[in-house]
Amino acid sequence: MNRRYSGLAALVAGLVVGATGAEPVAGPSFTAPEVRAILAHGPWPPPWQSDPSNRVSGQPASIAFGERLFNDPRLSRPGTIACASCHLPPRSFTDGLPRAHGLAATDRNTLGLANVRRQRWFGWDGANDNLWAQSLRPLLDPREMGGDLAHVAAVVRADADLRERYRESFGAPPSAADEPVAVDVAKALAAYQETLATGRTPFDEFRDALARGDDRGAARYPAPARRGLALFVGKGRCNVCHLGPDFTNGEFHDIGIPFFAGPGRVDAGRHEGVRRVRASRYNLLGPFNDDSTRQTATATRHVAAEHRNFGEFRVPSLRDVARTAPYMHNGSLATLRDVVRHYSELDEERLHADGEQILRPLRLTDAEIDDLVAFLESLSASQANSSTSRSR
Amino acid sequence: MDARARQVNAFPVAVAVGTLLLVAADASRACGEALRGTTGRAENARYEIVFAAVPAPLAAGKLFSLDLAVCPRGGAAAPNALAVDATMPEHRHGMNYRPTVVARGTGTYRADGLMFHMPGRWDLLFDLVTPAGTERLTATVLLE
Ligand code: HEC
Ligand code: HEC
Ligand SMILES: [Cu+2]
Repeated sequence: MNRRYSGLAALVAGLVVGATGAEPVAGPSFTAPEVRAILAHGPWPPPWQSDPSNRVSGQPASIAFGERLFNDPRLSRPGTIACASCHLPPRSFTDGLPRAHGLAATDRNTLGLANVRRQRWFGWDGANDNLWAQSLRPLLDPREMGGDLAHVAAVVRADADLRERYRESFGAPPSAADEPVAVDVAKALAAYQETLATGRTPFDEFRDALARGDDRGAARYPAPARRGLALFVGKGRCNVCHLGPDFTNGEFHDIGIPFFAGPGRVDAGRHEGVRRVRASRYNLLGPFNDDSTRQTATATRHVAAEHRNFGEFRVPSLRDVARTAPYMHNGSLATLRDVVRHYSELDEERLHADGEQILRPLRLTDAEIDDLVAFLESLSASQANSSTSRSR
Repeated sequence: MDARARQVNAFPVAVAVGTLLLVAADASRACGEALRGTTGRAENARYEIVFAAVPAPLAAGKLFSLDLAVCPRGGAAAPNALAVDATMPEHRHGMNYRPTVVARGTGTYRADGLMFHMPGRWDLLFDLVTPAGTERLTATVLLE
């Protein structure tokens, strides 16, 4: 099993020779394992896959209906807050605030929605296992949009345009039963959000040039970003958690960000997330999953509750990360430089004593910090083909 | 790690014993021969476990299943049950998922709900419940 890369190793060994060959290339050249690590962060974009748990996934009428709903403040109780009030397209669907503020203040930083369809667990604590359940949550949360199932269903029934779009999507006008109508609204919202994707980035161009053995193409990647990449897959070991094309393993860790949410309040993170996803009526084991095989529910069926989950949060994707400041589950770090400094100066005392032995302070020089920031910035698409580009 | 390596060893033995004892020839067949793709192995004096990942190859952060064959050695009793788990000893943590194991007859099993959520060294732990007590076999997997 650990031999699976032997063929690829031979292939990339050749590439390294290529990269250090005749034409001088700015910045460090990479060892064979580093090249394999870099190639593992692509290709991008990934292929479209519809969501079997949502029967309107990928349906054009539902995508259009979902986009309409996403921008409609009437879905909130007082009619003042839409999804788009917190998830702003130019900021890769975040709001620029440390912690979101809807009808009241919340404890969490707004997550971006680009590439959201590729998550396994939703929210910083993974309290939902599917995109439509996660889309129902803000509609009902008193601090966000403050409605309930009846309010959501009533808004759709009362408006001729929304009613017609609902019928087009789901084959019948909204029924008198609130819950199925509200879940369908969430499924249309999910269908729209599945189309939000980030485009190709300078990093992707470099990665593909490396895969092709194209030195000239690879040389276009700026030297600071290239040195930062070497740190990311090298001594920084960032790719232990920020792995794959999405730069996340989709799981939960504690990197020493405080979980005190306010006087006398803690954010238990994944510990509470596991409890909530299991208890949710809208999880993939529940009655609203449109995948009758329940194959989509494997993760939920097997997820374990561990003591160490307390204070763990989801590893965020790093695509478009330059657009989603401030950072971390509580928005406590303002800039990418602050994030890199956090990893550089990590307080080991703050990491749980019985926790994972993965992180240690990197003690980076100022120049290394600049390089790592330059690399993180190279994970954002140019404005033109960014977040609003459709995956299909 | 490869079932074929074992087959190569076992084959001359079978030839040497000849076809006199069909049962013996059968018992000396490589454990887990029916498993597809690249396999891994855990063994001690009394048991041999051969496993294959589904889907293969393994990838960090992706759920997978294991198809397993458990082969008693030297007259050891067939186990009554098998449990599967995994840990990262260097990081001092286990998996975020609890696998379930279903017996599929004639010493074969299927384990569902595993995930190696980061690259590095993982130890797969196989607990065999046998009439003589529980014994643990371990296989190390290095995940890139
Ligand atoms: C008050 C601001 C606010 C509003 C309004 C809001 N959200 Fe969010 N959104 C957030 C915050 C904060 C999070 C992170 C929540 C958490 O971790 O529990 C989030 C997370 C999400 C996620 C999870 C993303 C991921 O990567 O896991 C999705 C999907 C989402 N919101 C969709 C929506 C939809 C659809 C609406 C409208 C129905 C909406 N949001 C309205 C602030 C908001
Ligand atoms: C042990 C796993 C792990 C490792 C290793 C790791 N990270 Fe993280 N990273 C996380 C988690 C978990 C968070 C969110 C923590 C929170 O909000 O409490 C995070 C957050 C971030 C963020 C903020 C993103 C956002 O949208 O808020 C950036 C940027 C980041 N990491 C970059 C890095 C870099 C650079 C390295 C290497 C120096 C690294 N990470 C190593 C797990 C890890
Ligand atoms: Cu680990």
